[in-house]
Amino acid sequence: MSCETVNLVDMARLLRRDVVDTVYRAKDGHPSPALSCADIVAALFFKVLKLDPQNPKWPGRDRFILSKGHACPVLYAALARRGYFSRDELPGLRSLGSCLQGHPCMRKTPGIDMTTGSLGNGISIGVGMAMAAKYLEQDYNTYVIMGDGELEEGIVWEAAMSAVKHKLDNLIVFVDNNGLQSGGKVSDISGLMPIYEKWEAFQWHCQEIDGHNMDEILAAVKNAHQVKGKPSLILAHTVKGKGVPYMETDNSWHKRVPTDDEYKEAMEILGGMDCE
Amino acid sequence: MSSYKGSREAFAAAMMQLAEEDPCYVTISPDSMKAMRMVAFAEKYPKRFFEVGIAEQNAVGCAAGMASCGLVPFVATYSGFITMRACEQVRTFVAYPQLNVKLVGANGGIFGGEREGVTHQFFEDLGILRSIPEMTIVVPSDASQVFAATLAIAKRPGPAFLRVANGREAVIFDKEIPFEIGKARKLVENGTDVALMTCGFILSRVLKAAEVLKAEGINATVLEVHTLKPLDKAGIASLLEETGAVVTVEDHNVIGGLGSAVAEVIAEHAPAALVRVGLQDVFPESGPAEALLDHYKMGVDDIVKAAKVAMAKRDHRRAG
Repeated sequence: MSCETVNLVDMARLLRRDVVDTVYRAKDGHPSPALSCADIVAALFFKVLKLDPQNPKWPGRDRFILSKGHACPVLYAALARRGYFSRDELPGLRSLGSCLQGHPCMRKTPGIDMTTGSLGNGISIGVGMAMAAKYLEQDYNTYVIMGDGELEEGIVWEAAMSAVKHKLDNLIVFVDNNGLQSGGKVSDISGLMPIYEKWEAFQWHCQEIDGHNMDEILAAVKNAHQVKGKPSLILAHTVKGKGVPYMETDNSWHKRVPTDDEYKEAMEILGGMDCE
Repeated sequence: MSSYKGSREAFAAAMMQLAEEDPCYVTISPDSMKAMRMVAFAEKYPKRFFEVGIAEQNAVGCAAGMASCGLVPFVATYSGFITMRACEQVRTFVAYPQLNVKLVGANGGIFGGEREGVTHQFFEDLGILRSIPEMTIVVPSDASQVFAATLAIAKRPGPAFLRVANGREAVIFDKEIPFEIGKARKLVENGTDVALMTCGFILSRVLKAAEVLKAEGINATVLEVHTLKPLDKAGIASLLEETGAVVTVEDHNVIGGLGSAVAEVIAEHAPAALVRVGLQDVFPESGPAEALLDHYKMGVDDIVKAAKVAMAKRDHRRAG
């Protein structure tokens, strides 16, 4: 691994630490869906995305949509660590008067490009942003992170068709394929499988990666940038709750607050209370 | 005289004018190009016409994304497909983030949907949208007003909905007068015996009813409440205070639309006797447009009768 990759891996660890800390202090939120996409978020916000935290609305910035909006603790952590707002804001998650809503709100939180939280919609909005870029002849890219469970929503496939029709090679969509949704296994709840073949059949440029391997994440983005005339889908195999062993094996952490002991255990695993 | 074949043509003409003015105006079509008379627009401005297929939720989602990037997208199709099928996209991704998306709904009311039947007659659209914060809702009364209203919502930042019909609507205004969002206007001022408040293309029937009433010695004021949101509460309350009796007339379910809006003003600001003319909370059927309105008690006679009932209720209360 390169020095840069090591730094991104460490950043992902810090984001995971922030997620657990935020949910523990806020006494509310979705920890394990945030942990499963922490590596992708770290790669995007600390390597890939063209951003200017001093000018959050810079028109030339890359756009990012967290379609699985309930995973927002990891997005808030990334935005804070990129300097959009103070990390002191993080424990305010979901509390009255905080800029950090229960699900991302573009009007309240600097750095959020689109309000999300109702599943399935992020990709459709991303199609709109990517079409706008083509029309306005701007060279920014639009990145979306979707959950696998939300692929059950019909609008996802409406958007998938229109992205191909409009040849949106400036649209890169990650599927955080952790295999679990609120009520259990995606494969038990829906007839969604196989995921990769569906996107291929929809004529997207498809890649399959280990969503916790920083080299693979960066390589997949690089490949996606080379594709012409097609939107890109990166199916990232992930583990829900990744990084906190007791969350990795228990889907009740979809939405659950750690006890004092669980909090201490997680923080030790993620580098200690005073690792910075 | 207005030169439009119908309100959809007027909308399309306004879009041509807007496109001429500024490249920020674009349209998104869920296979509604022909239905919304956008063929000429798509031919002249192919890069500003985004076809997304029969997928209204995606059309509104795309519009939200485009608006967030500084464009002013118009999504035009049948009203129910915007307000029902794509309701959540309208609420959560357009209204909540206050994005500059313009929604244009055809076949509002049973007059517009007429022979198509209930699947294409949308008489709940205004009630649904009225309960969503941040929405501007305009309901013009003829084609030339649709033209003016299209320009008006385009220039007003934020989410907006405009209702259009199917081409059978009457011509009311003989010149292109401006459309002032949020300001109800008096079109007939025969007197203060009773107020007739209305919105949309059914206005032509209300004007006839006012004539019939006048012939019978009843002097009505007709108030066109063409903007349901923001509602001109002061204008409505002021007329209610003068008349004490009001009939609301709308091609919409009597629940949720203008009748409900006026009832809210009555309850909170200006007590008055109210009769609501509109679809009486039933599913209608297919039929010729004018005959449908008559059948479902939205005829000129029905408005005249309702005016007399409202006046009698008022007089009974005053006497009591």
